[in-house]
Amino acid sequence: MSRLLTESSTFKLFTSVGLLQERMLSQSGVNARSRDVFGLRCLPGECVLQRAVMVRKKLTAREGRGWLSGTLFCTNFRVAFLPQDSPKPDDNADPVLLGDHDVALASIEKVVVVGPNRTKLVTPNSSLKFTPEELVLYCRDLRVMCFLFDRLTPDAQVLEITYTIAKTYQPPKPGSVLSFQNASLGSVEMKQFLSNRRRDVHMNWHESVSDWEQELERCGATGWRVSSVNDRFEMSTSLPKFIVVPQKVLDTELKKSFAHFNEGRIPRWCWRHPRGSDLLRMASFQNNIYHEKDDIRNLEMIMFGCQSSRCVVVELGDELPSPPDIQLAHSRLRALCLGDISTSVSVPDDKWLSTLESTRWLDYSRSCLKKASEVASLLCGAHLTVALQEADDRDMSCVVSSLVQVMCDPHCRTQHGFQSLVQKEWVMAGHRFYSRINYHRDNDKEEAPVFLLFLDCVWQLLSQYPSRFQLTDEFLLALHDSIHLPLFSSFLANCQRERCKRSQNLGQSYTPVNGWRDMLQPDSSSDPSDPPLPPVWDWDLQYSKHRRDRFTQPVPQTPPLQPLLNGNLNTNPDTNPDTLKLSDTIPGSVFLLSRGTFSSPANLLPWRSSSSGVYKKSHRRAASSENVPGLERLLKAWALNEFTHGLTSTPKPQGPLDPCEPLLPLLMGPCMGLWRECYLRGALHAQAFSHPIAANHPHPVERLAQEVQQLKDKLAQVSTSTDSHLPTKMAEPRRTDANLNQNSNNGTFLFPASRPQGRAMPRAAPPPTSTNHQTSRGPPPSSAPPFRPTHKNGSGSGKHTFLFGHSSGTEARHDQHYYPAANNAKLPKSNGSSIAL
Amino acid sequence: KHSISSQVLPCYLSLVLPPLGLTAPPRPSHTLPCPRTLCPPQQSSPRSSGSVACKQFTEFLLDNNYQIVTFVLSAPSRLTQDVTYFCPFIGALRGIVTVTNYRLFFKCTDRDPAFALDLPLGVVSRVEKIGGASSRGDVSYGLVCKDVRNLRFAHKQMEDTLRKSIFEVLMKFAFPVSNGLQIFAFEYGQVFPENGWKVCDAVSEYKRQGIPNESWRITKVNDHYELCDTYPSTLAVPVNMPDEELKRVAAFRAKGRIPVLSWIHPESQATVTRCSQPMVGVNGKRSKEDEKYLQAIMDANAQSHKLFIFDARPSVNAAANKMKGGGYESEDAYQNAELVFLDIHNIHVMRESLRKLKDVVYPNIEDSHWLSNLESTHWLEHIKLILAGALRIADKVESGKTSVVVHCSDGWDRTCQLTSLAMLMLDGYYRTIRGFEVLLEKEWLSFGHRFQLRIGHGDKNHTDADRSPVFIQFVDCVWQLTRQFPAAFEFNENFLVTILDHLYSCLFGTFLCNSEQQRLKERTVSLWSYINSQLEEFTNPFYVNYSNHVLFPAVSLRHLELWVGYYIRWNPRMRPQEPVHQRYKELLAKRAELQKRVDELQREVTNRSASSSSERAGSPTRSITPVQTFV
Repeated sequence: MSRLLTESSTFKLFTSVGLLQERMLSQSGVNARSRDVFGLRCLPGECVLQRAVMVRKKLTAREGRGWLSGTLFCTNFRVAFLPQDSPKPDDNADPVLLGDHDVALASIEKVVVVGPNRTKLVTPNSSLKFTPEELVLYCRDLRVMCFLFDRLTPDAQVLEITYTIAKTYQPPKPGSVLSFQNASLGSVEMKQFLSNRRRDVHMNWHESVSDWEQELERCGATGWRVSSVNDRFEMSTSLPKFIVVPQKVLDTELKKSFAHFNEGRIPRWCWRHPRGSDLLRMASFQNNIYHEKDDIRNLEMIMFGCQSSRCVVVELGDELPSPPDIQLAHSRLRALCLGDISTSVSVPDDKWLSTLESTRWLDYSRSCLKKASEVASLLCGAHLTVALQEADDRDMSCVVSSLVQVMCDPHCRTQHGFQSLVQKEWVMAGHRFYSRINYHRDNDKEEAPVFLLFLDCVWQLLSQYPSRFQLTDEFLLALHDSIHLPLFSSFLANCQRERCKRSQNLGQSYTPVNGWRDMLQPDSSSDPSDPPLPPVWDWDLQYSKHRRDRFTQPVPQTPPLQPLLNGNLNTNPDTNPDTLKLSDTIPGSVFLLSRGTFSSPANLLPWRSSSSGVYKKSHRRAASSENVPGLERLLKAWALNEFTHGLTSTPKPQGPLDPCEPLLPLLMGPCMGLWRECYLRGALHAQAFSHPIAANHPHPVERLAQEVQQLKDKLAQVSTSTDSHLPTKMAEPRRTDANLNQNSNNGTFLFPASRPQGRAMPRAAPPPTSTNHQTSRGPPPSSAPPFRPTHKNGSGSGKHTFLFGHSSGTEARHDQHYYPAANNAKLPKSNGSSIAL
Repeated sequence: KHSISSQVLPCYLSLVLPPLGLTAPPRPSHTLPCPRTLCPPQQSSPRSSGSVACKQFTEFLLDNNYQIVTFVLSAPSRLTQDVTYFCPFIGALRGIVTVTNYRLFFKCTDRDPAFALDLPLGVVSRVEKIGGASSRGDVSYGLVCKDVRNLRFAHKQMEDTLRKSIFEVLMKFAFPVSNGLQIFAFEYGQVFPENGWKVCDAVSEYKRQGIPNESWRITKVNDHYELCDTYPSTLAVPVNMPDEELKRVAAFRAKGRIPVLSWIHPESQATVTRCSQPMVGVNGKRSKEDEKYLQAIMDANAQSHKLFIFDARPSVNAAANKMKGGGYESEDAYQNAELVFLDIHNIHVMRESLRKLKDVVYPNIEDSHWLSNLESTHWLEHIKLILAGALRIADKVESGKTSVVVHCSDGWDRTCQLTSLAMLMLDGYYRTIRGFEVLLEKEWLSFGHRFQLRIGHGDKNHTDADRSPVFIQFVDCVWQLTRQFPAAFEFNENFLVTILDHLYSCLFGTFLCNSEQQRLKERTVSLWSYINSQLEEFTNPFYVNYSNHVLFPAVSLRHLELWVGYYIRWNPRMRPQEPVHQRYKELLAKRAELQKRVDELQREVTNRSASSSSERAGSPTRSITPVQTFV
């Protein structure tokens, strides 16, 4: 350790970054889990390059404002700040990339120093003629870190650390990404550590056949199957290995369809609404020459999915911003929020609102939300297939399809559900993260923060429905910031094929084998210059527990749906005779939704258009327009929705929430908020004082909810300790919970019913019966309210749960309360054992 | 004037109010569903539960136990078909209109769920007939309201007398002052458990601040308002300024409004004092006594040898006032004093700004240009300047330990805003419900903010140049503070909206008249009587009482927001998506209930284990530190 220090203090002799890298590499691994004498916990192989003592860090409003004194470090991976009184780090704990006050070198965009009367942008070659009083780091994630040097900070340290940071922060050139990756993850220990990490089993990675099957089951989507026709990426390079297609279409038939779509991105299943509508996405049609009759029959089957009656194609091109639009809007927003960095000139206050408007960022958020709301109301109100169509199906269809699911599916509003969603609709679906984020700064033309726009939209929903989200804006913020770190396999590729290529080369651990997440033994022979990359979802690696704890909040549990009949609420034959009449041979009507109106242009499905004679010969053209009014009514109802809510709705708390009810956002001008906690983090203000609770981070309701939760826990604890004197160990906590539920039945929606046994049982008093979990899930105790569907069939086969269906983690994660264990019809294999314990 | 009423009366059916049970929910006695109430009060009445929608448009459904004679338009059965309310959001609605001497009540008859509109006539700024009789013979008239909305009604032309009547009745009871009638507050006889007029007692408020002390005394020189008729009778002044000299100071200050103490820092003894502009005039007149007075204010604070004079006006305006005999303190005449202009514009600019804001938010909002439209009203900019001014004052007093003198021209508009906001930042007491009431009573009501003139209660002269939303701006600033410091205030948004609603309603006597001297407290009910009798409606569940903390808000426009919950509350689309308010309450109740349960069980455990080991009991409960102490 001392060697590290001596070496780093002589660092000033080395000016070439390249040299530096070599030195570090040679060093890595010698002192695993090294710790600086000043208490900075280094990653294995990370070394402290420079240090300055008696530095004060300016805290943002979120952190409580004011100042924090401590020591500033610059390592070869990050700029770290260690507050004075921070507890001694635990040497045996797993490494965490970034402390609460740290910023990775790769996130830094500009280094500015403030002197007595001047402000200077520091470049790798700058030399300073004055001693800075303040060091400001402008980050790519819109953070601004401001450090104040005390008079007691030695001038030499001030200058040295400034130079060091300026020289080592990621210079925008190719190759720097790799050296950054090596600095953080390249050491032997780190590689070993990463290789041994298990990945989060609570989320669905959508990587294997069984992952997709699990998702189908969760959604109750019958009539679909997982096809591995693209297993070797031969059909489409940008699609994942496994795609979900109608059961009726065989792989051999399927293969013929790829040619008819741009990049081979045929219509694929994304999600099923609990009322039975399916959401599909696809690229635009191409190669519009159709020869064989079967060809067309298959295309129709793929398009219509399981609904042979109606299909709506939602064209995403014309009303949504293009990636260049988004890029422009975002760079304007950045400029507005950060100001002109080098001159510290910012937009005057009296022009703030109109300048914000002219960035169009909020407009773009609005249009995405609007489109998603339309789709959500269609899915919710009718029984049909909605296919999102975008030219290359890799940008806005990611946004819209995932927004629709966030709106409609409570599972997607939990942290793990949301992660699964991003994994499904972005990572696996082939959103070109690598190009869109432009880590290497070598492809400005492709750069566009489409994903950040999506996060903004989610934040808008979150801010309008704060209590319907289990994830918090802290989580969104963490995700937002992680995008800018070129460390994660999730973002460092454009599609699964690229990701697989890389991991094959490495033989690294994050590749699953047929869905089993058992880790391969790390391939020790892998190229040392190419560290294994973790997925972004490995939050333990990225953030301290303190921060991770704030990723979620307790939410009122959404009562599960009525027991699903064949996974479809609408399959009752009486309600929808249309579905029955139309057999799979007669295709139904297809509509185009564009600019809020429905139409059925002749060329909507190119094979049906007049130029293609094949279709007409064999197919009766379905009379299509009779359904238009009905669909338009749906949309009108949506447009009026905000309205009718205001006028007629009895406030929701009185009854249980309808989980099918989509969260439709208000989109009027005053309703579109600015994500200040994200975009204005950099706007430093003179006020250095605040009310202690002013920056209370969690939403006040969350805090109170947490408190209520604490008390409930307490209660469980106390009641068990009471019961220890009683013969009936089991009955007591259960009764307590049941009573509480009854109380909460009287009009409160806080914890409506059913948090009960699943939690109280295994936790408060692990009873002997819980080993036999399957059988204990019989009828609920008579005192429990009848919110939860009772699975009469103990084996659970054929049952599907839409909400929190994939809830295997209940027992594993004691701090989570929203997974009713008993809901789980079929426990994923990987997890069954943890319950038996 | 009596002749009118006798002419009119025969046209009406005379009723006593309970029959107007349309509005009167049978129970919760003082339930006041705030317009943006997120959820209906728990009511047993089927009608009210069915008409949640009304709340949108309802100002108050007070308990209608008060017995007043009301005038219902004759032959309601005929009117049922004829009156149409043109809701800008829903469209035309047919129903019955009832006009009393307090309110206009419209109940829609052809719509389910029922829609109703309940409008205190005090809110009406003007009534105008729109157009002539249309082809269908409809008569149409519009009500322009002071609370950022307009209403339009129409009915079929009937026999001439009746048509005139609706209009005339509105004209008469909406503007009682212009018609020589009494404002309704004088007839309102509701009895509340608490007398709100007793909330603020000047002497005890000074005592709370530690006045009198060695530097400040309480003087009765204005006991009969002869020194200054717009000031309260009780004043706090420096000890070494005898009453005789105060009179000479009064001669030098506009309207006799001498510098008096508003607030004193409990530790540093730095003070906030307020006054009107000095009568310097074009010739640069000086007053020995006034100079001595300011010196005395400075001397009363041993911590600082400077005095800051904050002139709320833009310097140009202050200079222009010299032509009218006013002006500002020259730094030559006042040694050690530093004059700062805060650039806050006058009442006319503010009135115009609110007018523009109304255009932008009511009834329709242009989504694509919302922000630039909002910017063009300059409303938030004015809010910012006021907050920034108050922040500078608070900062000087708290951080600089320096005493400040605040004035504008007359010291009853911008000065009220600045001193009360600075005090709100400096002193946690004013952030409680009662403290806030005291703050309003003291800085606004007793120091003569001219509510009657600024609001124009019962006065039909809607173009009066004295009208201005000065107080609304202040409440807006308070709301901005509550947004930035959500746990620092004991009251919630509903409290602020309720205050603004009753600013116009003329139901309570609180905001009537222009000064303490004019206010007839005995004959009216105080708004605080009503508010304090149902505090749970107005309490912020997240309040943490850290009274010694000073709030320094961020005043950049980047951190200010339009108060949507007030200005755009009539738009049904602006309804919050979630009944957060309701959830607050439920959580609090839940917490209290659980805490109780834990305590009970804990006690039980303690009792059981008392025999063996009584030591370990009790600790688990204490390990939970409640996030806040207020329930």
